[in-house]
Amino acid sequence: MVWKAVARSRVGRIHQSQKLPCQDHCGYHISNDVIVGVVADGAGSAKYSDEGSKLAVKTVLDCFKTINLEPGKLSCSRSEEETRELLTKIVEKVIRQLQQTAEEKHCHINDFACTLLVLIATPDWLGAMQVGDGFIVVRSQSSEDYQLLFTPDKGEFVNETTFITSTHALEEMQVKVMSSPRFIAAATDGLEKVAIRFIDWKPFSPFFKPFEEYLQETGDPEEEDQYLLEFLDSERLNARTDDDKTLLLCLWE
Amino acid sequence: MPLGMPEFVENPETRCPVILLLDVSGSMSGKPLQELNRGLAAFQQDVSQDAQASLSVEVAIVTFGPVQLSQDFVTIDNFTPPELKPEGLTPMGGAIEYALDLLENRKTIYKNNGISYYRPWVFLITDGAPTDDWSQAAKRLQDAESNRGLCFFAVGVEGADFDTLKRISPERPPVKLNGLDFRSLFVWLSASMKRVSSGKVGEAVALPPVAWGQITS
Repeated sequence: MVWKAVARSRVGRIHQSQKLPCQDHCGYHISNDVIVGVVADGAGSAKYSDEGSKLAVKTVLDCFKTINLEPGKLSCSRSEEETRELLTKIVEKVIRQLQQTAEEKHCHINDFACTLLVLIATPDWLGAMQVGDGFIVVRSQSSEDYQLLFTPDKGEFVNETTFITSTHALEEMQVKVMSSPRFIAAATDGLEKVAIRFIDWKPFSPFFKPFEEYLQETGDPEEEDQYLLEFLDSERLNARTDDDKTLLLCLWE
Repeated sequence: MPLGMPEFVENPETRCPVILLLDVSGSMSGKPLQELNRGLAAFQQDVSQDAQASLSVEVAIVTFGPVQLSQDFVTIDNFTPPELKPEGLTPMGGAIEYALDLLENRKTIYKNNGISYYRPWVFLITDGAPTDDWSQAAKRLQDAESNRGLCFFAVGVEGADFDTLKRISPERPPVKLNGLDFRSLFVWLSASMKRVSSGKVGEAVALPPVAWGQITS
């Protein structure tokens, strides 16, 4: 069995009309039955938000590429507390990297503000973190139900959230572990309102199921990404959201 | 097997609440109220042109005095501007407190129904000085502002007591309207609401320049 995965970000209508780059970035890394997935959404108000989210994703993936990932090391014995320790180190590294880049460019770290979602999964364990909004939805091997890992970190008002560059980012960081993940979807907030029912924060199964089937039907989703791209660029979706859109999909099969 | 397309959940629109606190005291009678009524109509028309904003922006109108709910919260697609008529005094303190309560109730309704919302705006327009005790209202307003619970804007027409308005809202100085150019004021409010209601996460919304009045300081 292997992890099948694909991750894509597409620019939203607002940024397209303003000829701005996509401020979302995403990526993943698979090694020895371990998958690491990252999703980041650059703050619209930040000067270099597209670079911030790109650098955050790259830094997280680089961290994992340099350590030898073995499922045994990460397996279900790792508690939420231990996972928090591991993820805190990674987030600190991202913050240092953004700080360093800000100094090189003679600007402020807030110019690179972005949200950050990271997941690490083995066939029997999943650990994840989230700073800011966006979502991670998981279906375990033993359940039919999709589960939202974290309720999005929003202030009272819809246009407020925490960024990785906020002074209280580490305190606000949400961390969770669970066992036996089978399907994982991570996204930026551009997809929140079509995928999650706000009244009780339940993932909407008819949104997620087709993506799970797509991964099942596809030999190599990285090569056969047309289904995902067509969805992200569809008129139907753009009519519902004008924000940038990112979707990372993983299936253990 | 052909793949189905992902279906979308129906979530309610994100709301962008705004309360207009309008002075309809005797001194507003005649031309000022006529122009204010025309301004309200311009506001309704202008927001309606934006499909997203007309479903998101919710307006309520509180007139004083006496303090009255002239229009409960309604989305712009269902809003018919009322014909305001001059009445009595200027109980501004009571009107502000009424608006704050109205807003709290509205937020409870949003929360109970899973409706997300932007930071509410309270927009006060007056041509006079409060005829009631406004100290408690000012305190509540300043608490709400400093907790970032709302944005309060005070607009004074010629003859308004700007010193008192400044004491009611020290965080954002009152704006003095150019003549009776309510139309420009409301077109600006509409443009601002359109920007707020399409604002993205964490984005500080830059408001259009205030070309309809002078910011007093």
